[in-house]
This record gives sequence, C-alpha cells and structure tokens, in this order.
Amino acid sequence: MKHLSLLTAALLAAGLVSHAQDWSQWGGSQYRNMYSPAKGLPDRFEPGKLLKGSENHDPATQKNVKFTVKLGSQSYGNPTIANGRIYVGTNNDVPRDKRHLGDRSILLCLDEKTGALNWQLVVSKLKSGKVNDWESLGLFSSAVIEGNRLYVVTTRCEILCLDVEGMANGNDGPYKDEAKYVVQDVLGADGKQAPPIPPTPKDADIIWRYDMMDELGVFPHNASNCSILIIGDVLYVSTSNGQDWTHVNVPSPLSPSLVAVNKKTGELLGEDDAKIGSRLFHGQWSSPSTGKVNGKDLIFFGGGEGFCYAFDATPKKEPDGSFLKTVWKYDANPPEYKAKDGKPIKYPAAEGPSEIIATPVFWKNRIYVATGQDPEHGEGVGHLVCLDATKTGDITKTGVIWSFKGINRSISTVSIDPATGLLFIGDFSGFVYCLDSETGKLHWKHDMKAHMWGSTMVADGKVYVGDEDGDFVVLAAKGGPKAEVLSECNLGAPVYSTPVIANGVIYIASNSHLFGLHDSVKAKAVKP
Amino acid sequence: MKLLTPALLTLLCACSLTQHAASAAPAAAPVKGWLAWRGPNQNGTSAEKGLPSAIDPKKPLWTAEFPGQSAPVIANGKLYIMGYLGEGAELQEGVRCFDAETGKMLWEKRYTDFLSDTIYLRYATSSPTVDPETGNVYTLGTQGMLNAFTADGKELWSYSMMEQFGRLTFPNSRTATPLIDGDLVIVRGVTSNWGNQGAAGDRMYAFDKKTGELVWACWSGERPRDNSFSHPVLTWFKGKRVLITATGDGNVFCANARTGEAIWRVPLFKAGINSTAVVHNNDKVIAIFGTPYEPGQMVCMKIPQVEPTNPTNAPVVVERQAVELWHTPEISTSTSHPILVGDRVYVVAEKGDLCCVDVNNGKILWRVKLGIEQRNAGLVHADGKLYVPMLDDPASKGSGEGDAGTTGAFYIIEPSDKEGKILSHVPLEGRCFGTPAVYNGKIYMQTTKKLYCFGKAGNNPGLPPEPVAEKWPAPGKATQLQIIPSEVLLKPNQAASFHIRSLDANGFVVQENLDPKTLKWVGYIPPTAKVRASMKGAFNANGQLVAGPDVVPSAGAFEGTLGDMHGYIRGRVLPGLPIKENFEGFDISVVHETEEGVKFAYPPLPWIGPRFKFEVREAGDTKALVKAIDNKFFQRATVFMGEPSLKNYTVQTDVMSEGKPRKMSEVGQINQRYLIVLRGNAQEIEVNSNQERLKVSVPFKWKANEWMTLKSRVDIKPDGSGVVRAKAWKRGEPEPAEWTIEVPHKIAHQNGCPGLYGFAPQEMRVFIDNVSVTAN
Repeated sequence: MKHLSLLTAALLAAGLVSHAQDWSQWGGSQYRNMYSPAKGLPDRFEPGKLLKGSENHDPATQKNVKFTVKLGSQSYGNPTIANGRIYVGTNNDVPRDKRHLGDRSILLCLDEKTGALNWQLVVSKLKSGKVNDWESLGLFSSAVIEGNRLYVVTTRCEILCLDVEGMANGNDGPYKDEAKYVVQDVLGADGKQAPPIPPTPKDADIIWRYDMMDELGVFPHNASNCSILIIGDVLYVSTSNGQDWTHVNVPSPLSPSLVAVNKKTGELLGEDDAKIGSRLFHGQWSSPSTGKVNGKDLIFFGGGEGFCYAFDATPKKEPDGSFLKTVWKYDANPPEYKAKDGKPIKYPAAEGPSEIIATPVFWKNRIYVATGQDPEHGEGVGHLVCLDATKTGDITKTGVIWSFKGINRSISTVSIDPATGLLFIGDFSGFVYCLDSETGKLHWKHDMKAHMWGSTMVADGKVYVGDEDGDFVVLAAKGGPKAEVLSECNLGAPVYSTPVIANGVIYIASNSHLFGLHDSVKAKAVKP
Repeated sequence: MKLLTPALLTLLCACSLTQHAASAAPAAAPVKGWLAWRGPNQNGTSAEKGLPSAIDPKKPLWTAEFPGQSAPVIANGKLYIMGYLGEGAELQEGVRCFDAETGKMLWEKRYTDFLSDTIYLRYATSSPTVDPETGNVYTLGTQGMLNAFTADGKELWSYSMMEQFGRLTFPNSRTATPLIDGDLVIVRGVTSNWGNQGAAGDRMYAFDKKTGELVWACWSGERPRDNSFSHPVLTWFKGKRVLITATGDGNVFCANARTGEAIWRVPLFKAGINSTAVVHNNDKVIAIFGTPYEPGQMVCMKIPQVEPTNPTNAPVVVERQAVELWHTPEISTSTSHPILVGDRVYVVAEKGDLCCVDVNNGKILWRVKLGIEQRNAGLVHADGKLYVPMLDDPASKGSGEGDAGTTGAFYIIEPSDKEGKILSHVPLEGRCFGTPAVYNGKIYMQTTKKLYCFGKAGNNPGLPPEPVAEKWPAPGKATQLQIIPSEVLLKPNQAASFHIRSLDANGFVVQENLDPKTLKWVGYIPPTAKVRASMKGAFNANGQLVAGPDVVPSAGAFEGTLGDMHGYIRGRVLPGLPIKENFEGFDISVVHETEEGVKFAYPPLPWIGPRFKFEVREAGDTKALVKAIDNKFFQRATVFMGEPSLKNYTVQTDVMSEGKPRKMSEVGQINQRYLIVLRGNAQEIEVNSNQERLKVSVPFKWKANEWMTLKSRVDIKPDGSGVVRAKAWKRGEPEPAEWTIEVPHKIAHQNGCPGLYGFAPQEMRVFIDNVSVTAN
C-alpha cells in the first residue's frame, strides 16, 4: 500500500481505524466474500439534501459523510479503491468532458481523499443497441487494480488493461489508438463517423485491448459485466456470451463462457471446457472467484445454465485448443425447479430454474452461491447452497453441505462474517437473510420492501445494504430470531451496487451519487 | 373473409359508399357498456355508483381459465378480452367473448403465433375495443393480427400487420390497443414498411372500421427507442379532432385523427414512453416516463399552440421548457398507466407506490406502497374508490418456499387528499399485468392464471346513463382530398377503385363520394424520396387505378387533383406466384455512405421491409441481395415479398454467409409463416415460427463463403396439421432426393407471405440470390 491518504494515515496513527486497507477488486479479495475487517465504522448516516437547483449535497445537512461525488444517472459499477484512487463505473448522463456527449459507459478514476476526478475512461456504445449493449446502463465491471495496472471489462465486450495514472504520464503502449477508441460507432452531426478525439491528461490510457466479440465470436447479451479475477500473470474473465433478441437462439453457441488471458499482453491462454453456450438460459454474467484446494488453484464460476463450476486454473493444451478443465460441477437447480407433474417448467417461470449471476464465494474450502435471474424477469424461486469445494466430478449429489430453498431469486453475493460464521445475503424479492454458514440454519430474514440487486457488506459487527428504493440500511450482524435495524436512510436514488469499505471509509454508489461515509466525529478528532 | 385480397379490396371500395356517408360523425351510441379499456372518459374513470368496497378471492362470481395481461371490455352484456391457451407450438392467443353476468363463453377466435419475437408467455398484452356505433370488436394480437369482428364473432376483415405493414415485434411484446374515432379504427406499432415508411418508426395506421380500408398513416418522424403501447387520447385542438399520445421515440405527439397529419411533438425522454398520457381540461398533458432501472419523471405541460407551416407532414418540435408547467422527479414508471380523476392523477409508480398528485401544481399529496414493482397495469376509479391491481402480492411471499412471482394483489382504496385508505387487499392467483374493468356492480380482472369476476350479481342500479356522443363541428370550406384506400396492392392488370371525399382544412368531411372520374391523376414522387420510382399502372376513364400488364414488381405514389384540392395514394404491383428475382436487372450505382468505394442498388421497392436491411450488390460474378451490416438495429432482418393469403408454394434461394472461425451468420427464407434458416455458428438447419413456440433443428454442415441452395415447402393436411420440409445443398451440385429436415406442426399455419431472412450478429454478411417462389 503505497499511497495512504493523509486522513487514513492520521486515523491509523490515532488508532481509530485498526484495519486500514484498500479494496482493490470485486469482493475485496479473490475469494469474493463481501466482508471487510475494518473496525470503528459508524452505524448511522444522513446523506443530506441537495442544494437547491444543484446535484450537490449541502454538507450542513449531512452526517458521517466524507464526501459525495456526482455520478451519471445509472451506476452499477461497484467501486474499487487502491493506492489513493477510487474507480467507479457509471454512465455519461452528467458528462465530465463536453467532447464526449451522449450515451457512453464511463469508468471514473477519482482521488481517494477529495473525490476529485483524476481521469475517466469513455466507452462508446455498440451499434446493435439493447441486445448487446443496453442503453444508458453505464459500465458494470468492478475494476481490479494491481500495481500501476488496472483491468476492466467494457460494455463493448472487451478486456482493457489501463494505466492507473491515466494519460497524465503520457500515452503508454502498445495500444495508442485512444483517440479513435472513444469514437467507435459514434456518428457526428453529419451522420458520418465522428472524428478522433485526442486524449488529454484527464483521459484513460489503454495499455492493451482484447475484443471478445471479434476474437472469440462472443455475442454478449444486453451487457458485458465481468469483474476480472487475477491469479499470478493470468486474468480470468467471463465473456457475457448469451442469447440474441429472440431469447431462444444463442448466435454463438461455441464461444466460451470463461477465458484466461495473459495480463501483460492480452494474449488468450485458454477457455473453459464446459461448452455452456448452447445451454444458456439467457446470458453469462457471473464473475469468477478462486481458492486453493488440495494444492491446486481452482476457478469457481457460476454458469448461465445454472451450474456452478470449478475449473483448473492452469490451461491444458489439447489438439483443438487450450482449455480450463472442469474439476467439478454442480447443478444448482433442484429437480422440483425443473419439472412439475412430469412436465418441464419453462424458463423463466417464477417456480422454475435459474442461472447463476452472483459470484461464488470461497471460504474454508467451501463455495457459497445462490441462483437468480436478470431483474427483468421478476421474482421467483431461488436456491442458496454451500458446496464442498474439495470434491471432483459431478458433485450435484455428493458435494452439497447444505442447501437453502427459502431464498428467492438472488443476484447478490454472500457475506460471511469470520468472527461469527454468520452468512448474510439479499434476494431480489427484497429480503435479507442471516444464516449459519456451517449448517445453513436460518436465523432471521428482514424485508427491505424493495428489490435488491447489490450485495450485503459485513464489517465491524454490522451489515450494510442498499436497495432499489434507495434505502441504505444498517443491520446488526448477529443471529437470533429477528433482525435488528440500527439505522435506515435514503440515498435519493436506486442503489444497484454493493457497499465496499476501504481505509475506514464506506463507499456506496446510488444511481446518481457516490457516497464516501465515515465517522465524522472520529475523523475530526484526528485532524491537526 | 380471411384477409383483404386486392380483389376484395376493390369490391369493398365499390360497395362501401353509403357506409362512408353515414359514418362521418358518430350517431348516438346504441351500444352500452365499458367499451374501451380506459373507459368512456378515456382516463380510467367511471361514473357508476354502488360498487364493491371489498372482494373475496375465494368467492368470485365466476372465473375463466383464460390467462393474459389484457383489460376486459363490456358491451351489451358481453365481455371481450384477449388471452391465450395451450402450450409450446400449440399455444394460441386470441379474443374470447363471455356472458359478462355468468361467465359463459359465447365465442372465441384464437391464432397461432408466428415469426414474432414474443417471449416468456407475454401474450395478450392489448385489449379489445368495441365500436359504440355498431358493437363490432377490434383486436390486435402480439404477432400483429389486426381483426375486426361482429359482436357475434363473425370476422369482418383482418390484416397481418407484420406481413402487410412490416410491423416489428419485440421481446417485451407490449401491444397497443386499437382506438376508435368515428369511422376509423386506429392502431399503432413500430413498423419498417416500404417507401417513405421504410425506416423504423412508431407509426399509427387508421382504417375504415367497417371496410378495413387504410385511410392514413402517420408518425412523429423520430427513430424509435422502444415499441410503445401508450394509448392515444382523442381530444380537440384548434378546431381539429386530434390524438395525443406518448411514443416509442420518447415524445408526446399530437396528430390530426382525421387525416394523420403530424402536428407537434415534445421530446421528453431518451427511451420510449409506454405509459398512457392523460389530458386535463383540454389544455394540459400529463405524461410519465422512466425505465425500470433509471427513474424518470411525471411532467405536466401546456398543450403547445403550434401547427406545421410546411407541407412535409413533419410535426413542429416544441422544447419541453417552452411548455412545462411542473414536473416531479419523485414519480417514475416505465409501463404503468395513470388515471385522471378531476384534478388528481393517480398512478402506481415503478417501485409499487400508489401516488396521488395535484394536477395544478405537481404536489404529491400522498403515496402508499402497495408492492415493490409495477408492470404494464393500470387502475380504475369509480364510486369514490380506486381499483388497483399489483404485479406481485407483498403479503403472499416470504411465508414459505416457492411463492415469489406467482401471486398478484388486488387493492380497493378510498382516496382523499390526505391519504389512500386501504379498504381491501387480497391475493389473486397469477401475477397482475392487466387493467381491471369495473362495470355493472362487478370487478373484472385477468391475471397470468385466470380471468376473475367479483361483485354483485344482477344489474346495478348505480349504473350511469350512457355518455352522449360528442357533437362534431360543421365542416368549413373544402381544401383537400382524402382518397380511400390510401394504399393499394395490385396484381398486373388488376384495377382498384377509390372512395374520394373532400375535407376542410381541419380534416372534417365536406363532401363524400366525389366522382373519381372528375379527378386529374398523375404519378407522384415525394420530394424526399431516395428511391425515385413509379408504380407501373395508370388511372382509367372510370377513375380506377389499373396496374400495368408487366409481371415486374413496381411501386410508387399518385396525386389526385380536383380544382385546387389534392390527395395522395401509394400503390404497389406484385405479380403473385411465381416470384422470380435474380437481381441482375438492378443498376448498382448508389454510392455507399459508410463503406468507401462500395456501390449498391436499393432493394425491390414493393417488398415489405428490405430498405435499411438489405442492399443489392455485386457478389463475385453475380448480383445478389446482401444483408447490410452498418444498421445494426436490423442485424436480424426479415423481408416479405408478397401478401399473406399465399399458400402451398415452394421457396428456393441461393444463400451464402461470410465467415471465419466462430463467426458465421444465419440466412434463411420464410415459407407460409415458417422460418427456414441455415445457422452458421451452430451448423444447423432449423425450422421455427416464434422460436419459443416452434423450433426444431438438425445438424447440418455448411461452410462460410460457399454458396448453398435452400429449398422449402409446407404441406397442409385436411385436419389442419402440416409438415414443413426443407433441404439444403451445395449450389451447383445435384439436389438431394431427401429432405434435410421435416417438422410436423399440429396447428399449422394455413397461409402466409413468402419472405427472406438474414441475421448477421457478428458483421458477417449474408448473400441471397436466385429467389424463386413457385406454386406447388
């Protein structure tokens, strides 16, 4: 950790924040457990009121807010924080650069201390529209940062390696076509291809680019969203391959769902051997996680056909390609979700099968993951499972440690509190559940009374969670028959992201603003 | 009469004169009931008294196993509603007529889906509409079948909007309900038709409600962002009868309901607007927009007092700032419909809050959360109560396993300016996407499981008197001609007759039945036309349009002049079977706008839908129809080459896809509403017709950049079942004796327009040549 913010350093010095640390990837670590070891976190906030005629909050009306940063109008890209910089995905509804107007996906790089803009990545939309790149959704992928490099999947179904310094330190290669990159498929006022826009120091510096549509024939459905996993020199990336407009036909059934790419060069190293493409229910949107099992790095991956997979992280060369071999697989849809009275239940019927969109969480040689569907499909039955990650083969019958069918469809990733072994998860019907991660026994469930897209975050004995009504709720991270609500506030816009914690600050993005939340009194106390 | 063939059309034109004379202004309504889903006031309100304050889901008056997302309408004791039955390839959508009192089914008409993009049982999303004058019933299915029936279920006329107007279908499947105004029935949809209607647009089409003849077509001129089922409101504007509606291109749009003339539009949103707008006091419009993911707003605007000054039929664009009275960012919906009760707007917002808003200042008087999401549904106000369906019942889920997403809710709420008091809240089996009807002491509600009727048996004394038909103004001086039908499709040597009326400047009929012989007719090329083509044909001494003898397709427009009055029609000539096209006669000379050095010819003008999707280009030593890849909105593209009554024919085409590893396109042909397609990446040959309904494929090896020949036929058996047969082989090699794929279909499509298909998802071009459609 090279660049601690002054404030964090001060807090550390004062002993008020005991676990100052970055949050440099989705889930904070490669295990993807939505947990932070941070301590001394506040349990109530007042996000504040907007100044009249402004999109900025009045600090006088805020409590425990470090800063707010205006985002676009839709923000799904969960923040990551590393080396003094915050990265967050949003759309271009509030353009930061007047040369880039209209629908774009945006990755903002902000100063961790002030929220000021360092640089932004501007990604133009695919011409095919909704089917491949739904309008206005902005950038989904949660960037992963390692040293001076950042890796992200764009809504053009590309893997990008970026320089964390942006263009401020010059245009590093090999990729040097940034001026053209930002105007791909952008038409000028005359209806013709818009001219290149030369980068400024406030623009992203692309080091290399891997186009999964062009290289792999991938047909992304609605949105490319993967949050990239790094092991050593290898990136593991979900392709977002999926159906076309008809929601029946997969135009590219032979394209992979998961690929391994050299992080230094962008060279393809291998692809999954599971051939999920022809069986996809809708799209392939789960992000991978990893863990070392029996001395071997495994990649855990939620399939778009409802199976959870463990792949060997080392690609194996075979005559027709290089493959990530399946170590085990688990069918997350129980038989009663697939057929009733001998008749198949057709996807996406509420009582029927689902894919896996959440990220599998690795903890203590186990995998925790729930099934769910695109929110467009509404509510329905879900299935949360705890699997034994040490098994091999088809573990549908042999690998289940416990299974919980009381959950509804969920696209949320679990939080497990190591201090208590309690597991927290939200579902799309709006319930937050607290279960024993060992046994699957339900302690309580809490009705948020709104859809939940994001995940819970457990830290410091509290569960932080947001919902589609914009409510940001703090629950006590404890068991018992009933949830204890510590506080509730409203962020003024839907929350589709997950709260994350870095260096003592809780970051939560609503559709329209990024909030940095901390304990103002403690922060003030340590100021010089 | 299954479909309007050109011959029948001619006949109808000749015999319908007296009907036109009678239908200029509606007479007092002899038909009693709740005739349209928005009710007699077009705003979801009823004047009926003595209605239930509570319902018991265990004690309905009757139920029917007829699921859907529709709103019932009631006329003279009969209830009409859209719905669907059956599974898989046998699923059929249609209209049923019930005895509104007993639930006894009186008649039904159901249709098999074909070639649509409807998914996930999103059927029956529109509602029937009853004509107050005749009691006739009008329906538009999700696949685009527009049907007119008598109250007894006799079909009067019908169109396949997909095959005849290039109506596109969408996975969300939202379908607009027909609207009746005087002698017209008006429907809408995103079409990619022919000529100046070739670009995709959210268009409205007005038909003579009795004869089915097309009277006008109109659109806002904007590119659609979505389809829309926003229901137009009929009102008055500067002496004109107009409709005001939100559109799939994100505008609030006003057009003359008598002529289709576009008047103004106000851009409001970057996405399509599906929610129905309401008109208050005839001086302001309240529209609500949003997406499920991005909150929008409720906006109240003054009705702009502008009219076009030029003759291009483009509406005046009025910026929102110039007319906005207020807006509330706190209320958003993507698809739910508000109602207007006096000075109060009630709407269930996107996330399930029922909101009450003061029209005069936009103040939200109260909101009450009834669920966590609302989709498509509307509500009804009657007898001081709001009747509100909700997508999912919040009380029914979370109690156990497997209950989310299967149970809707129905609320009865007593609104005041202080609160919305819940009088009744019950679960209903199935989710609620539809809108209730409240009539004659009863509440009717369709869910995705069944149709419910609750309330009091027998007649309700609180039923209000029937609304008095509006009196239309006396017409002024005649200034223009309206020529009906405004579009014809003819075979060589076939004649079409026209009904001609003079209209005043506002579009009201001054004189019916002008003598066609007295008009001067000339070919007409609109000043904006890129394809400067003419229909091969001429007007004869009787004022009939007679197609030329050439068996060559052609299309164009004509202008009719009488004194200083003008009127226009469009016409196409298609020779019928056999259809032969090798594209060699096309002059490849248009310089491509986005591909340097490339020239092309526009595809055949009289076909439905090829423009912007296909181009005629050089392809090696031949000319071929090539799938355009620069307009990616049409990466899947369908073209129709005839008319939908055709049947019992064989289609043969040469086809090819560009390609490289894992990147090949799909290319195919349409035979009698079946799509026969060679799939590149999957290496299959497939037969489908709505891919969720019927989709059968077999492995088939074919290579990129290599011409194949594809052939298909459909054979129908006396019991209505059929077999689709197709084969493909390398071009130039002998035709194999066996069919490559044979697909039986129990309820087979009996007829349908031949067509072509290309799907280039990865920018690999598709080539089609030597098109042949021959009678079996």
